[in-house]
This record gives sequence, C-alpha cells and structure tokens, in this order.
Amino acid sequence: MIKHGFARGIALALVWGLAAAGAAAESKEAPAEIQLPPVPTHWKAEKPVGTSAGPVTPEMLNAPTTPPDRWIQYGGNYRNFRHSPLKSLTPESVKKLSVAWAFPTGTTGQFEASPVVYGGVMYVTSSYNRLFALDAKTGELLWRYDHKNGENLRLCCGPPNRGVAISGDLVIMGTLDAHLIAFQRKTGEIAWNVEVASYTAGYSITSAPLIVGELAIIGVAGGEYGVRGFFDAYDVKTGKKVWRHYTVPGKGEPGVESWAGDSYLRGGSPAWTYGAYDPETDTLFWTTGNPAPDWDGDGRAGDNLYSDSLLALEPKTGKMKWYFQFTPHDVWDYDGNTQLFLVDAKYEGKPRKLIVQANRNGFYYVLDRNDGKFLHASPYLEQVNWATIDATGRPVVNPDALPKEDAKFRTCPSNLGGMNGSFTGALNPDLGLAFIPSSEACQVFTKGIGAFKEGLPYLGGLPDTVDATAGKAYGNLAAIDVTTGKIKWRYRDDRPMMGGVLSTAGGVVISGNLEGEVLALDAKTGKVVWRFRSGGGLRSQPIAYQLDGRTYVAVPTGSFSTMDSFAAGVTKVPEGGTLFVFALPK
Amino acid sequence: MSRVALLLAVAALACKPPESPAAKYLRDPEAVNRGRLIFVGTCGAYCHSTHDVERDAPSLFDCEWKHGGSDTEIFASISNGIPNTRMPAWKGALPQGDEDIWKVIAYLRSASECKH
Repeated sequence: MIKHGFARGIALALVWGLAAAGAAAESKEAPAEIQLPPVPTHWKAEKPVGTSAGPVTPEMLNAPTTPPDRWIQYGGNYRNFRHSPLKSLTPESVKKLSVAWAFPTGTTGQFEASPVVYGGVMYVTSSYNRLFALDAKTGELLWRYDHKNGENLRLCCGPPNRGVAISGDLVIMGTLDAHLIAFQRKTGEIAWNVEVASYTAGYSITSAPLIVGELAIIGVAGGEYGVRGFFDAYDVKTGKKVWRHYTVPGKGEPGVESWAGDSYLRGGSPAWTYGAYDPETDTLFWTTGNPAPDWDGDGRAGDNLYSDSLLALEPKTGKMKWYFQFTPHDVWDYDGNTQLFLVDAKYEGKPRKLIVQANRNGFYYVLDRNDGKFLHASPYLEQVNWATIDATGRPVVNPDALPKEDAKFRTCPSNLGGMNGSFTGALNPDLGLAFIPSSEACQVFTKGIGAFKEGLPYLGGLPDTVDATAGKAYGNLAAIDVTTGKIKWRYRDDRPMMGGVLSTAGGVVISGNLEGEVLALDAKTGKVVWRFRSGGGLRSQPIAYQLDGRTYVAVPTGSFSTMDSFAAGVTKVPEGGTLFVFALPK
Repeated sequence: MSRVALLLAVAALACKPPESPAAKYLRDPEAVNRGRLIFVGTCGAYCHSTHDVERDAPSLFDCEWKHGGSDTEIFASISNGIPNTRMPAWKGALPQGDEDIWKVIAYLRSASECKH
C-alpha cells in the first residue's frame, strides 16, 4: 500500500566492504566512497485510504456523543470527557481483551498521543513527529511521514507529540520545531505547512490542534525559555493564520501593569495544551502556563496576567470574553493548562453550565463557564501545602513554600503537579465522576539567578526532587465527584500516574502506569479488573472504537526516562514506543 | 642561594601555569555562592542535578569530565556548548559575563567529591 521513490540499497554497505578489501589489496588506492540513498521520510498511500467515510464536518465535531466507529477529537468530544459510548467494555468484558495488533514507532521519548480513528483508519503520532496512518482493524501501515525537525530543538521536557486533529479531509499535526502541517488523510500528501514561530527562540509544539468550525487552533510551548506565549487560529483549508492571541499583554495593553518593569517581554505563559469549545455559546476555552522565569519571581512582581489562567474567547476573532487566574504570581511552575471538562449539572440544587479542572497546583476547581465565576476549589491530592484557596478563588500562599536561596521546606505538589497537561483525565457523565491521574510528590524549591538570552533556558531556580530521589514519589488515579470535588475512590500506584485515561459507558476506566502496565478499573469502585504488561511506561491517551461489531482499545506505550527519573526517581524501564491495540473476542 | 638554585627557582615559577579566575574565586565565599545561585537558577532544573546524580545531563560533582577537566576546558565547555548534545553555549548570556562562568566553575570545584 505504500510507495516511495528510492531504490532499496541496504546491501550496498556489505558490497562496499568486500569491494573495498579487494581493491585496496590490488591497487592500494582508497576505495571510492559509496553513496547510500537518502533515508526516505515520507511514504504516501498507493491508492486512497479511508474512502468509506466522507469529510469530517463541524456537525460531527459538535455532536455531544461520537459514534463508536470513530474517535475524532483529542478529548473525545468538545467537552473533553474522553468517554466512549461503548457499553461493550465492562468490568467483566475487559478481562477478555487480547492483543489484536501492535506497532512500533521506532522512536524513543514519550509516546503521548491520543490516536484519531476515522473511516477505518487510525492516525497516530509518535515522539519526534512521526505520523502514521494505519488500518484500524489490522495495523497495516497505509502511509507514513517522518518530520525532519530542525537541529538543537528547544524542549524543556522531552520530544512528545499528543496527536493530530482531523477536519474535512485533512489531518493536522504540530511539530517540535513549531510548524503546523496538514496532510490529505487519504493519501498522506502534504496540503500545507506553516511555521507557527521560530523554534530557535524557544518555541515548540507538542499538542494536538483543536478544530472549531473552519479553524485549527494550536498553542505553543516555551515557558522555560522566556518566550511570549500565544495560541493561533489557522484556516483549515489554506493554512493561513486568522488570528493570534498573546497570553502576555504588550506595552499599554490591559494586564501589563501586573508585570514589574519590562518583565512582560519575556513572561512565558505558554499555551501548550488543548482547549475546549462550547457550541451553545460559541465560546472557546484555552489555558496558559507558568510565567518566566519559573522559580524566581522577584523581577516580575505582580499577578503576571494571563499566566496560569483559563481564558474564554470568541473563536472567530480570538477576543477574550473573561479570564480566571488559578495561580497569580506563580513561583512553582504550576501551569494552569490541565484538561478542562465542560459539564452541565445541578450545582447546589440548580442546573448550571460548569467548567471544571483538576489544576496542576493540586486544587480541583469548579467555575461557571458562562461568566467565569468561581464556585468551588478543594484539594484532590493527598499532599497540598503551598496554599489554601479563599472564597474568591485566590490562593492564600504559605510563606514557607516560597522558593528561597537556601530552601529546606518540602512544598507539595511538585512542579509537575498533581495533574499535568501532558496527560488527560476522563469523565463519566452517568456516574458524575471525573477520573484524574496524578503524581504525589513534594519538592524543595530553590531560588537562584536566572539569565535571559533568547533561545536558552530561563528558569531562575530549581525544584529539588527530594521525594523522587528518595523513592517516595507515588501516584493516584482518583475518581472525583464532578460538582463537589469529593473523592469517591483512589487507586494508588507505586510511581506517579502520568498516563491519560479513557472512560467507557460500560463502566470501565482504562489507564496505565510508569512500570508499563495497562490497567482497567471498575469505574464505580476503582478496583483493578485487568492488567497487561506492555513493557513501556504509559504516558499516552488511550481510546476505544468499534469496527464491524468488534470493540478495540488502543493504548500507545513508551515513556521518556529523563522525565520519569525527574518525576519518580531513576527507572530501569527502557524507552521505545509501541502502540498496542486490544480487542474483545469476535 | 647559589646561582644555579636561583635559576631553577625562577624557571619553576616561570613554568607554573597562571592561576585561573576560578581558582581565585574558590577562596571567595561570596563568589562561590554566586556561582551556586547561577547554577541553581540556570543549569540545575531539568538538566544537571545539584547533587552527584546522573540525569539526562551528566553529574558535574564527581570530578569526571567528559570534555576536559581543567578550569580552562570547563570554561570552554560552558562558553561554547557541546555539539550534538542539549548543552547550549552560555557565552554572553550571564549577567556578569565570563566572570559568572568562572564563579560557576569555582562553585563546582567547591561542591565536588572526587572519587579518585
């Protein structure tokens, strides 16, 4: 099914060795250098694939429940529930899951993707921006693109990519060197390729884009490089930029007064994760990360708007409607960009449109999504000591927890959270429970001298990973009552839980751990009902789908040992990405 | 002192390499502390650990140097970066320029535990 334009020349190296030995013996002349053909980086489909389905329309994306034969959004739907309508995946049936097929990515680093399935084809991205189109039933490789990222990438935390967006007949991927590339889903041909930002200035893209109408919305990472954060909207058909929303105000703009001096010029506040969309009110929700430098706030006195915030915007213009800042003047790296859930539920007896989030700072927040009014915050972790939250939603900071030059205090949570934007939770609307994976670890935050130079790390201090180094970091997957924040159950793991979550209408929660086990839990009790040892730490976002009546669960596996060590202590689990696709019996 | 002994003494002095700025800063606690704060604020978060621990970037506290262990060689590694690694070039990036690099080296020397 795949074609590429290069002759196969693998045997040349062996031929070269034999010929060189003979030639050197006879003439003593140096052998001519044999030129191997360049390694292909793009294999297109020989004939169109996924033709059983038409273009992906806004109506399909707006649907509150996605048909089981597809998974077309990172969050499952615009509400980000990651909740499959499949009732076939129950606490009993998952025990019968077996491997239908597996696929290696050939790359190391975190395999963080949420696959997209449409028209019987799975589109999945690996670390370092490989994009594979696979037959979703058999795993046959249909087309492949290996992005050639620029040299000396500016990455804080590894080389992941969390997936593609799909719209019309295009699939769209952001890259570590800050490009956005659209591909014809049926052939793998590149439709357009735009540079979102100059990566040498500290920018990168790891997120899947979010499609709203005819726009692909994507944000950048770079909070550890003192960039000026932003997210953009691009015309899906042409790749033309429609608007840019900076997350740090410019000179004279509202909010710039919350930055001392000219610190706003390198204020970070990246928008490196995925948003949410409310079709009823035509509101886009996006979140922002830490102000820069991370651990020294002395030079940026003030609240540092709009870092660590939730923004509500008009999707057609990028104009802000309202904002809520979770962690004003952050000096811990508590990015505000964990997953958002849009929930319609009774709150204190009255129907209300809510937006909820388990924030990296350790608190679970409930807001009114029409106006951003703060309603509730409570710790969802077992260890939170950096602050309490007052009646307005503003943190009351524990002065012991502030970074110091000679710090000794164990501050909780760690700079990675709690939850983290690199992995997802899920939400079962029938049970009213959100399933949130998290890290339980504390750190000693030390303040130092940060030096800004474009394209170099701009940190200002460090989190001493005392718990991880001592082997005391552990993880939880918690079931949280959506409106009250109360913990219904916790599954505890020996290491931080840093893999994403899938929920099913059949009452199962599927995730995994850093030791390489894929786990299925009973959604009502948290009891583990099935385990599969994949061999690679789980950092991905599992999905489920059904084709020709057979139910599949796709789980990318493979982690990044540097981040694993940082989060949980040195690990023996090797890197290397493998996608496992499990199936229930026919 | 005989003329020969005097000549030998002068020769010995002439052969002794000049003291690096890092060696000078090593005797200055304030300079060592500034080196520590720069290391903490710039080098030690996601890359080099502040302890003798190997992460993605090597430990800098075990007296084992992959790219040369003299003060001058370490200065060159910090200034110019290490090709094909994540170590960038820091020349011109620190507030006090080269002096800050020497102070970082002084701090590394002061905090190292040589195993050999």
